[in-house]
Amino acid sequence: MSKSMKIRLNSIKTYLSKPQNIILILTGILVTFTTIAPIFAIIRDTFQVHPGTIDQYLSGKASGYTFANYIDLFTSRLAKTNLWTPLINTVWLAIGACTFAILFGGIFAYLITRTNMAFKKYLSSIFIFPYIMPQWTLAVVWQNLFNSNAVTGTSNGLLASLFNITMPAWWCVGLFPCIIVLGMHYAPFAYILIGGIFKNMDANLEEAATILDTPRWKIFTRVTIPMVKPAILSTILLVAGSTIGSYPVPHYLGLTTLATKYVSMNDKYTGEASIIGIIMMLFGVAIMYLNQRSLHSRKSYTTVTGKSGHISKVDLGSGRYIIAVVFVIITFFTSIYPIISFAFETFLPNPGDYSFLYTGNTNNLTTKWWVTNENVTENGMYGQMGILHNKTIWNAFRGTILVSIVCCLTAGVIGTLIGYAVSKDRHGKLASYVNSMAFLPYLMPSVAVGAAYFILFSSGKVNLFNTYTALIIVGTVKYIPFASRSSLNSMLQLSNEIEESAIIQDVPWIKRMTRIIIPIQKSSIVSGFLLPFMTCLRELSLFMLLCVQGFILSTTLDYFDEMGLYAFSSGINLILIVTILISNYAVNKITGASLDEGIGG
Amino acid sequence: MKKILMVMLSIVLALTTFVGCGQKETPAPADNGGAELSGVKAIIAEAQGMTLEELAKKAIEESNGKTFYGVGNSSRGKSALPLFIEYLQTIDPSYKMEFEWQQPKNNKIFDQLTADGLKETGTFAMTLIQDGNQIESKMVQTGVLDTFIPKEWAEANGTTPEAYEGYLPLQTLNKIFEYNCVNPDKTYDNCWDFVAEGEHGLFMDIDSEIVGKNFLYMLTKDEYAAYLKDAYDKLSAEEQAYFQPTVDALEKDAAELGLGENGKYALAWIKLWVNSYNAVTDDGPICNTLVDASAVDKFGLLVYSKVRSVEETDTVSVNNIKVAAYQPGYEGIGGYAYCHYLFVTDNSPLPWTACAFIAYMTETVDGFSAWGKDLGGYSSNPVVAKETEAKFHHSEGLSAKVACETTMDKGYDWWIGDGKLVVEDPKYCASVAFTVGSWIEMLDKYTPE
Repeated sequence: MSKSMKIRLNSIKTYLSKPQNIILILTGILVTFTTIAPIFAIIRDTFQVHPGTIDQYLSGKASGYTFANYIDLFTSRLAKTNLWTPLINTVWLAIGACTFAILFGGIFAYLITRTNMAFKKYLSSIFIFPYIMPQWTLAVVWQNLFNSNAVTGTSNGLLASLFNITMPAWWCVGLFPCIIVLGMHYAPFAYILIGGIFKNMDANLEEAATILDTPRWKIFTRVTIPMVKPAILSTILLVAGSTIGSYPVPHYLGLTTLATKYVSMNDKYTGEASIIGIIMMLFGVAIMYLNQRSLHSRKSYTTVTGKSGHISKVDLGSGRYIIAVVFVIITFFTSIYPIISFAFETFLPNPGDYSFLYTGNTNNLTTKWWVTNENVTENGMYGQMGILHNKTIWNAFRGTILVSIVCCLTAGVIGTLIGYAVSKDRHGKLASYVNSMAFLPYLMPSVAVGAAYFILFSSGKVNLFNTYTALIIVGTVKYIPFASRSSLNSMLQLSNEIEESAIIQDVPWIKRMTRIIIPIQKSSIVSGFLLPFMTCLRELSLFMLLCVQGFILSTTLDYFDEMGLYAFSSGINLILIVTILISNYAVNKITGASLDEGIGG
Repeated sequence: MKKILMVMLSIVLALTTFVGCGQKETPAPADNGGAELSGVKAIIAEAQGMTLEELAKKAIEESNGKTFYGVGNSSRGKSALPLFIEYLQTIDPSYKMEFEWQQPKNNKIFDQLTADGLKETGTFAMTLIQDGNQIESKMVQTGVLDTFIPKEWAEANGTTPEAYEGYLPLQTLNKIFEYNCVNPDKTYDNCWDFVAEGEHGLFMDIDSEIVGKNFLYMLTKDEYAAYLKDAYDKLSAEEQAYFQPTVDALEKDAAELGLGENGKYALAWIKLWVNSYNAVTDDGPICNTLVDASAVDKFGLLVYSKVRSVEETDTVSVNNIKVAAYQPGYEGIGGYAYCHYLFVTDNSPLPWTACAFIAYMTETVDGFSAWGKDLGGYSSNPVVAKETEAKFHHSEGLSAKVACETTMDKGYDWWIGDGKLVVEDPKYCASVAFTVGSWIEMLDKYTPE
């Protein structure tokens, strides 16, 4: 063996002797495959002839490949309807939802962390409720509140029924309610991210400005806002990606977006729908590119004047109660009212029949949706047993728990390892590649990821349609970033000396991880496990193409909502909310980690 | 633009074909006659010569102790399966079978069956499926589904399994125009009233329930276009004056689409309907809306059977709605009809059991009872249809409800004749799906303003 060969072998040996390098290689292969394979599958699908669809009609072929889908989607008379209008709506929706989420969540974060507003603990906990609930349930609540015979052409919602107030159409359907509902759903993102920075931000900067007699507005715009800019950018990345891939909210509130178009075109324009899936993915890539650029252009600041001695909070004076009460009212409608509404809905004799409220007659209430234990088709049960006896619901619940637990464990473990390995070789090319590749699926719209995996898993060789395996794989891939980011952030805070001293003592890697690193960063790592679990529990857009209703709770919930059986969907919502709250509470008690941990004081 | 696209796409196609993985394969085309049958097709050929009882014995042999998976557009398959198992237990009391019935929404049944069809042995034993257009192009021509015609069903229809052409319908369902009648001054006495100025009917979106789109395709067929023309002629001069510009404007389109002489009336009605209907996710919410006292002056086009699910309260009642076609002097189409078809999957894991279950549903009142107890669903077996009416008395209304004309089903023959239902024809739908279909997709849909 030549000398150079020996040197090369030795360097490989040295490289592989570090556990983080092995982790990077293995996870690099894994995330490359799990990200690239579905992308190729969906690209291929855009060229394939699908029997019974437009490409067969246009190409005259029963099988094989064609460009017909691209040509038809971009150049036909339907291009505006099928592509451009949904595309523009999607962009507006993403911009609107991001803006709303950042303003709503950011202001709330500021008030919680930087002022002496009252009821902080309560408000901090209640504020994240909309994120816990499936996003479209807020859309259903919106409909139940604001729909009216006069405007939406439906039966009257609560506002019209009880107070004879009819809201205008732009309020009830279309872009505006979608922005509000998705903005409210994702505002907790902004709250957690921006709140984290506000909480840990060096007050010296603001106080130094105060000492220099800088006006308060100028301090806010020139000091505070630049400090939270990274969190705002992170919120934009996360909310934009999620909003673009949201199917149920635009679907229920009557807005045509790329996600809804993908679903509606899939029967007759299957290949063109796949192109729409690719366009949605390109949004994810573009968002990632912007993220990289923003990372490279981050500025650091330093104080050029005196130091402060304490962390001060803005005194709101008597406003501390007024503002708190305003938020108590707002969060009542975003967090408490939906739960009351869901509970009430399960006792209505007909979906949306509020007779009890106008008459006070208890005969206009029923417990049939809970307790019916026989197969009846009358009185709106459609052969379904009551919730307590309904096998479909409870089987779906078990399925959801299975998928959520396995996803949280696999995504959590893989993500934690990626975070660890990347933190050890932060500036390495492979680390950077793995970090970006693992994060990419999260930035890709859920519907597009689901569609790509649906195509990948619907072949003669790999046929995982309607299996828990498919959901677990997709859920894991999509939610690895929760754990990897959480793990990376916490690992970066950990001094290398701690592990190095263990290495000197010849402590094996497994022991270093389980006895030193993980226990120190337990709270952050557990959060990285908790988020995939909670998100999986109520995920629809990602899973809806991969399984049928009755398989997991969110698809079952959507099915009942579509059927108009709101008592069942409301009951399922309650089950989900209770499950998430119990899980959050249990994890909080056991490990001290929770979603809003550390922000709400 | 097209040339540039072609060049760019050629490069991408070459790359993806070369490195592509996880391909979605097109299922093998259906076997043509002449070749020797094998697998499920051979079993079906044999089963078509057997009585229900003979099939039941085969099913017991095949599926005792196993799990049966079915998939359908109707949730009632879940109610029919336990009855089928009970029937098999009358032959063999020790017989046991677990079952699971799935009802995908939003057209997903075709994706599900296509994906399952790629397996050597599928998960689903059979299906109950609607939308003849897609069934033909995506399921039958591709060989995913096979038709089984039960012997006694064929006999009841005066034919034989071999002579019968077409798919096996379990039932015909009707979707009919119903309106809220709380305001007695508001009436609909002509099907053109539903597309008049300011009207916004509640209707399942044609992109989520494709049989609704098929209904619009069918309106362009000569016989149904003639219904619309006849109804149009009955309108007052003032009413005609409102519609006439639209009709005239579409004369050219009708000619380009190769439609008959009344095609422009069909296109006008379709255009006005698509421009005006208020999309709803399901017929259930439509019914819930219409029966509410607050839904004054609203109407919908929905499955008749939904009135059965209304629970009477202080503000909700079936008496708050009327069936348009039942009103004296009503002119024009009363709604539309489509079929639920039964098929055995070509890779069925339990083909004998699937055939027996299909025969049970189409040949016995008990087998059909999951659907038969509802009004608005009519067995394709005339004997079963007659016995079902004798058992459930749909023509007399819902006994549990307040006496109400709305719930007194006038029956299949009336609906097809006097009720002027537009009946789905899969072949016609398939033939116009990319001509009339694309034209429909160009139309602007209604959004509340």
